[in-house]
Amino acid sequence: MNFKSKKLLYLLFLLPVLYVAQLLIIDIDVNKKRPILNIFKLMQDDSALEIVDFSVDKKTVNSNLPKPNKDRNPYYGDLHVHTKYSFDAYVFGITASPDDAYRYAKGDGILHPLGYEMKLREPLDFYSVTDHGFYMGMIQAFADTTTDISKKDFAKPFHDLNRKDNLTVESAGERSDLFSSIIGAVIAEPHPNWHPSMIKAWLTKNTQQALKSFDYDIHKSAWADIARSANEHNDPGKFTTFIGYEFTTSTDIEGGNLHRNVIFNSSEASIRPWTRIDSLNPEDLWTWQDSLREKGIDTVSIPHNSNGSNGQMFEMESFLGRAIDQGYSDKRMRNEPLVEVTQVKGTSETHPLLSPDDDWADFEIMDVRVGSRPPTYSRPSGGYVREAYLNGLTLEFTQQGNPYKFGLIGSTDTHTGAGAFDEFNYWSKVGLLDGDAENRGSVPLAPENRERLEEYMAAFNQPQSTITLEQGDYANTGFTQWGASGLAVVWAEENTRDSIFKAFKRKETFATTGSRIAVRFFGGFNLSSIDLNSDNLVSESYEKGVTMGGDLISDGDKTPEFIVWAQKDKNGASLQRVQIIKGWMDTTSGRPSEKVYDVACSDGLDVDPVTHRCPDNGARVNITDCSISQNVGSSELKTLWRDPEFKSSDKSFYYVRVLENPTCRWSTWDAIKRGFKPREDLHDTIQERAWSSPIWYIPDPSDVVVVPLGGTVPIRNSN
Amino acid sequence: MKNKLFIFFIIGICIYLIDIGLNSNEDKNIYISDQEILSLVNAWKSQVGREPTDDEISRIINNLVQEEILYREALSLGLEREDKIIKRRLAQKITFLKQESILKDFSQKEITDFYNANRDKYYVPDLYTFTHKFFSSTSNSKERAQNHLNNSNRSYEGSDPFFLGKNFAETSSLEINSNFGSNFSLYLKNSPINQWIGPYKSSFGHHNLYITEYTPGFHPNLDDIYDQVMVDLNQLKRDSAISDFIKEVGSEYSVIINPDLKI
Repeated sequence: MNFKSKKLLYLLFLLPVLYVAQLLIIDIDVNKKRPILNIFKLMQDDSALEIVDFSVDKKTVNSNLPKPNKDRNPYYGDLHVHTKYSFDAYVFGITASPDDAYRYAKGDGILHPLGYEMKLREPLDFYSVTDHGFYMGMIQAFADTTTDISKKDFAKPFHDLNRKDNLTVESAGERSDLFSSIIGAVIAEPHPNWHPSMIKAWLTKNTQQALKSFDYDIHKSAWADIARSANEHNDPGKFTTFIGYEFTTSTDIEGGNLHRNVIFNSSEASIRPWTRIDSLNPEDLWTWQDSLREKGIDTVSIPHNSNGSNGQMFEMESFLGRAIDQGYSDKRMRNEPLVEVTQVKGTSETHPLLSPDDDWADFEIMDVRVGSRPPTYSRPSGGYVREAYLNGLTLEFTQQGNPYKFGLIGSTDTHTGAGAFDEFNYWSKVGLLDGDAENRGSVPLAPENRERLEEYMAAFNQPQSTITLEQGDYANTGFTQWGASGLAVVWAEENTRDSIFKAFKRKETFATTGSRIAVRFFGGFNLSSIDLNSDNLVSESYEKGVTMGGDLISDGDKTPEFIVWAQKDKNGASLQRVQIIKGWMDTTSGRPSEKVYDVACSDGLDVDPVTHRCPDNGARVNITDCSISQNVGSSELKTLWRDPEFKSSDKSFYYVRVLENPTCRWSTWDAIKRGFKPREDLHDTIQERAWSSPIWYIPDPSDVVVVPLGGTVPIRNSN
Repeated sequence: MKNKLFIFFIIGICIYLIDIGLNSNEDKNIYISDQEILSLVNAWKSQVGREPTDDEISRIINNLVQEEILYREALSLGLEREDKIIKRRLAQKITFLKQESILKDFSQKEITDFYNANRDKYYVPDLYTFTHKFFSSTSNSKERAQNHLNNSNRSYEGSDPFFLGKNFAETSSLEINSNFGSNFSLYLKNSPINQWIGPYKSSFGHHNLYITEYTPGFHPNLDDIYDQVMVDLNQLKRDSAISDFIKEVGSEYSVIINPDLKI
C-alpha cells in the first residue's frame, strides 16, 4: 500500500468519526445543556439576541405633557397579565387579546369567558402583558400525543411541566383532555439528530426548533403581536405599557416554581423570548439579559410565587447547587431588582412558621407548590421575602455577596387579561375554572356539579376535591387559598416608560394587595430637623435622606431616623396602623433576627413603648352584610421614627407595612351575595395592606457594593 | 344461482377497475420548486458559511421529500380529521392570515369617517392648573377650611400638607378624580379663576382651591392626531377581520344541534 492510498484510507476512516463526533456535540449541547468546546460555539449564532424594532409611528397631540414632578408621583400598575397567547389561558376559555387587556387597564370593560363584564373602578397607570414565553402563541402543535414519550431521554427535562402553573383543572372534562394533550405536545419528541431542524436549532441556539411540535413562525408572530400591542397602547404622560413575558421555569426534581416576568424598557425587543426550553437555569436568563443590555436593550426580571417554590426561590445555593458567590449576587441583583411579593396565588411576605412573633404573618398563605399534581406542600423556608432579606445579610456576612437585596411590587397573574383587585368584585384568574363562586369553593356545590367536579378532578390527579362543612359540600381544589391581589406601585417623576422603569431599577416601589394605599418612606440621620407639617416635607426628605430601595450608610454611631407617610385608598377602608419591620444581623453572634414595630396608630392613639403595639382602634366588620365601622381609622398616618434598639455595627434593613382596618374577604362577599354564611374554615376578613421596598443600613461605608444598575442607583450619604 | 354469482363477479371487476382508474389519477408526483431548494440552501450557507456539498444538498432535499411523503400518506389515511390539534392550528392560521391580509392603505374618506365616528375618543380634556389648601379630616377640617376662606388677608397658615402635594399643573378631570376621589373634578367645572373657592370634601378631608388657569377641552384636527387614528383604525380592522370573515361565509353553513340535549 502506497503512501497516498494510506492517507485516503485514513481520511475515509476519519470522516465517519468526525460525523459521529459532531452529532455527539449536538446531542450533548442541545439535549443536556453541557458546555462544549468553544471552537464549536464560534459557529453558533444566538437567535435570542436578534433585536427587532417593534415601535409604532405615533405623535402625541398633547405635546406639552405635564411637567415631571421632582417629588415624584405614585403610579399604580400590573406587571403580570396573561392573555390568549398563554398556552394555559387559551384552553381555559380565555379569548382576550393583548389589545383587550390594555383596553381593560385603561378603563374599558371586557368580557369574562363566563359572559360577565370585568371593569376597573379606576383605570391603572401602567400595565404589561406577560404571556408564558415557552410555547407562546402555540396553542397546539404537531406533536404525536400517542407516543410514549416518557421513555425518551429528551423528554426528561420537560417532565416537570406536569407541575406547571395552573394545572388545577376542575371544570369541563373536555378542557382537561385538551389540556393534557397540550402537555403531551410540550413533551414532544425532538427531531432526529440528522434532521436539518436539529442542526439549525444548534446553530442558532434555539432549542425549540429541535422540537417536532414547534413552529417558529407562529411563535415569532405571537410575540410580535404582543410587542405591537404594547407599543400601540403606550401613551406617554397618561398610560405606560411594557413589552414583557413570563419565563416559566422550575427546578428539575421537586417542581419548585422559579417563574419570573421579564420586562423590557424599550419599543425594541429580542426577536423571541428566552424560555425554559432554552434553559431551566435562571442564571442563563440573566446572562441573556446581560447580553441584551450590551446591545442597548435593558430588562428586569421579577420572580413571583416564591411561596410555591418549595423553598427554592431564595435558596442559599445556586440552581446547580453551587455556592453563591459575589459574582452570582451581583448578576442576580443586576437583573432582578424586584420581587412580586403578592398576587392571586397568595402573598409571600412571610409565613407564621418563619415569623412566629408577627401577628400579621398569617395573611393569604398559599401552602402548595405552584401547579403541583397532586397538590403538594411547599416548604416555607426559602420561599418568603422577609427570610430572604435576612438570608441576604447572612450571605453578605460570609462574604458571598447579597443576592436578595430586592424591592417589592405586587401584581395579579390574571389569565383573563383583566386583573381582579377588589374583594367584592372578584373573578380569580383562570377563566372557566374559577370564574364562579361554586368552583372556587366559597359557596356549596349543587349535587350535580359536585359529581362532575369529583370525576374530573380524580382524572386530574386530585384524589380529594371536595370538603363537607356545615352548609354542604364545597369545592376544595386550592382556589380558596387564592385572593384579590395585588398592585405594583412606583414613585416616578412622570408616567412614561423611562421614568417608571428607572423607578423599578432603583427599587423605589411598593406593593399593595389591590388597594390603592400610598406610602412614602425615608431614612436618614437628620430627618428630625424636618417639620412634618411643612409643605416641603417630601422635597426636604429627598434632600436629607434616602428613600425606599436605597442604602443608608452609617454616620458614626448616629441612630437612623425614618419618616413614614401613608395615605389610604380614597375608595377603600381607613388605615389602622403603620409598622416598620426591621431585620438585622448581629455581628457578634452571626445570627439574623427580625422585629415588627408599630410606628403610627390611627385615631390619634399612641404606640405602647414596651410592646411596640397600637391599642385596638375598635374597627369591626359586620359579617352578615360586610359593612364596616364608620369614622374609625385614619385617612393618613405620618410619623418620624427612631430605631429604639439600634446597634450601629449591625447590618440591617427596614421596610414599612401599612394596614387597613379589616374588611370582608372575597370568599365572604361571594357567600353573602348568594345568601350563604361564609365558610367556617376560611378567614372571614382580611386587612388590605401595602409593603414598601426596604432601606438597608450599611454600617461600614467600604462595605457598599455598588451594583451598576444602568447608572440609576444613587448611593447617597445623608451628610 | 350461477347467474347471480356472475353478476357479483362482474360488479367486483368493475370496482377493481374503478379503483385502479382512480388511483392512477391520484397525483403521486412531488414537486419541489427551485425557490424552495434555493432558500433552504441559502439558509444553510448563511449558518455554516460555506457551500453545501452535493451530499448535503441531497440530504436536505431527501428530508423534504420524506416529510412530504409522510404527510400525504397521513392525509390519505384521514389522520387529520377530528384531530383537535390540527383543527385549532388551522383555525389559528386562517386567523393570522385574515388579520394580515388587511389593507394598510385606507381611503381618505374611510379615515375621515372613522375619525368622525370616534371624535369623542380623541377629545383633549379640560385642563386645570390650581393650588389648594388641605385640611385633614383628623381635626374639624370643615371648620378650619371655612376659617381659611373667611380670612380676608389669606395669611392663615392652619392647613395641613397634602400627600400628593399642593400644586397641580394642567390636570384633567380624570386625574383630579383619581387624586381626590370620584366627582371631585365637578367642583372645578365652571368655577371662577384666581380666587379661593371651597371648602370641598374629599375622602381625606376638606380642600380650598385656587384655580389659576383653565384650558378648555377641544376636538383636535385630524391632521394633528393622524398617526393615532391610523393605529386605532388598523386595530379595529384587525379585530373585525375574523368576525367579518365568519359573517361572510357563515351564511353558507347550517348548524345542527340535538334539540333534546339536556345541559
